[in-house]
Amino acid sequence: MAAVDVHRFAESITCHAWSPDYSMVALCPNNTEVHIYKSLSQDQWERLHVLQKHDQIVSGIDWSSKSNKIVTVSHDRNSYVWSLEGGEWVPTLVILRLNRAALCVQWSPKENKFAVGSGAKTVCICYYEQENNWWVSKLIRKRHESSVTSVAWHPNNVLLATTSTDGKCRVFSTFIKGVDTKDSKAGSPAEAKFGEQILQLDLSYSWAFGVKWSPSGNTLAYVGHSSMIYFVDDVGPSPLAQSVAFRDLPLRDVLFISEKMVIGVGYDSNPMVFAADDTGIWSFIRYIGEKKAASSNSSYSSQFSEAFGKFYGSQSKSATANDASESRGRVHDNCINSIVPLSKAGGPKVMRFSTSGLDGKIAIWDLENMEQELGNQF
Amino acid sequence: MAEFVEADNAEAIIARIETKSRKIESLLKQYKHVEALKTALEGSPPKTRDERCKSANWIVVHRALMAIKDIDGMLNALDAEYYDILMKYLYRGLSTGDRPTCDQCLKIHEKLTERAGLGCILRCLTDTINTV
Repeated sequence: MAAVDVHRFAESITCHAWSPDYSMVALCPNNTEVHIYKSLSQDQWERLHVLQKHDQIVSGIDWSSKSNKIVTVSHDRNSYVWSLEGGEWVPTLVILRLNRAALCVQWSPKENKFAVGSGAKTVCICYYEQENNWWVSKLIRKRHESSVTSVAWHPNNVLLATTSTDGKCRVFSTFIKGVDTKDSKAGSPAEAKFGEQILQLDLSYSWAFGVKWSPSGNTLAYVGHSSMIYFVDDVGPSPLAQSVAFRDLPLRDVLFISEKMVIGVGYDSNPMVFAADDTGIWSFIRYIGEKKAASSNSSYSSQFSEAFGKFYGSQSKSATANDASESRGRVHDNCINSIVPLSKAGGPKVMRFSTSGLDGKIAIWDLENMEQELGNQF
Repeated sequence: MAEFVEADNAEAIIARIETKSRKIESLLKQYKHVEALKTALEGSPPKTRDERCKSANWIVVHRALMAIKDIDGMLNALDAEYYDILMKYLYRGLSTGDRPTCDQCLKIHEKLTERAGLGCILRCLTDTINTV
């Protein structure tokens, strides 16, 4: 079992983020506050701060690792950047100019910008203006036909991938004069002007979530609500897209743990491992906690067997229940909403990551001993 | 959502469906039920928004579905790429409310879900573009 630490912080967790040294976690317990907990020892957590500024649920939190700033966005259409001053977290309002809820946020790799996806079909790119001592928001208004559910920065600090409930994944340039420096290579995609769409991927028929770039920025992965996960290699003028359909319930978020391996989390409450083989074909490998052989057998948790019993009624002669879930030793009881790496960004491999979900638990997973089992793609 | 372009006009599609229908009748007469279903599912769903084509295709698939007696055998012989399409037709069958159709579709649904998992049902429900 790869989960090394599991702790229930609240009834339900909307999102979470870790401090630069990974000793503290900031989470939203499905209300308007952000709670910061410090880890004292195994399974001992102390609540240090409660950040109360938002009027509605905090939908996204990100903690920058170099500048130690927390950015929070909320359904109240606002965003705050919090700085630690004298032991207290002090908020700075960022005027996003949104007329709908903010749904997700991420600091850029250089931490001089952050991106916010919103229900207003726009993406806000915010950067700090030194002269006026405030954060300015530039909007990408075009292109999206519906809410932007997830944003992800490319390692070059300029390209941004977004997913939306219109089913499409798009890549934009967020080049801002004065903040970004022009790449010396002529014709590189980073030279495109702000808000220009580099790529649009039409692979999904249903809502898209959870987009992430691979460590090198060569590959994109995102999920669709139709129990599909999409991989796009060689993102650029001629990308190679693959759609992988899998057996079980849809995913909500993904994480690249190496260039060729992705962990997906979602409604099955159990992280799934996907990997690309030597020819570059991606496929589902296994659930993280299970041995490879066990997963081939039909496996529904006990909550489904009762429902199936009623659905099939007298028709069903064979037992539909299969209590494999108990023996799987599931860590989460409910949908996992987000997966966050616990390694320094920019590294080629992620050895530790954490997941949080609607059951209010945060689980920390360590892949230290799993290298053998995961194979050579890791 | 992902868009599609009408591949052919309705007449061409209906003509194709009629050819399929004759082939299936002959296969059923030879008791080749699985072959019949495979033929029926091929080229489905018709890439069109025309309801007549979809209904015509459904009638053909329905004929093949009702003739199946050995469900496990049929699923064994069917390639995994057909699971999603079959699931869509099962739901269409269940929506008819007709007793023998529903009985048959429910039986197949149970076995297909065991094989293909809940993801198959999800893909059937979320795909509003390629409907049957």
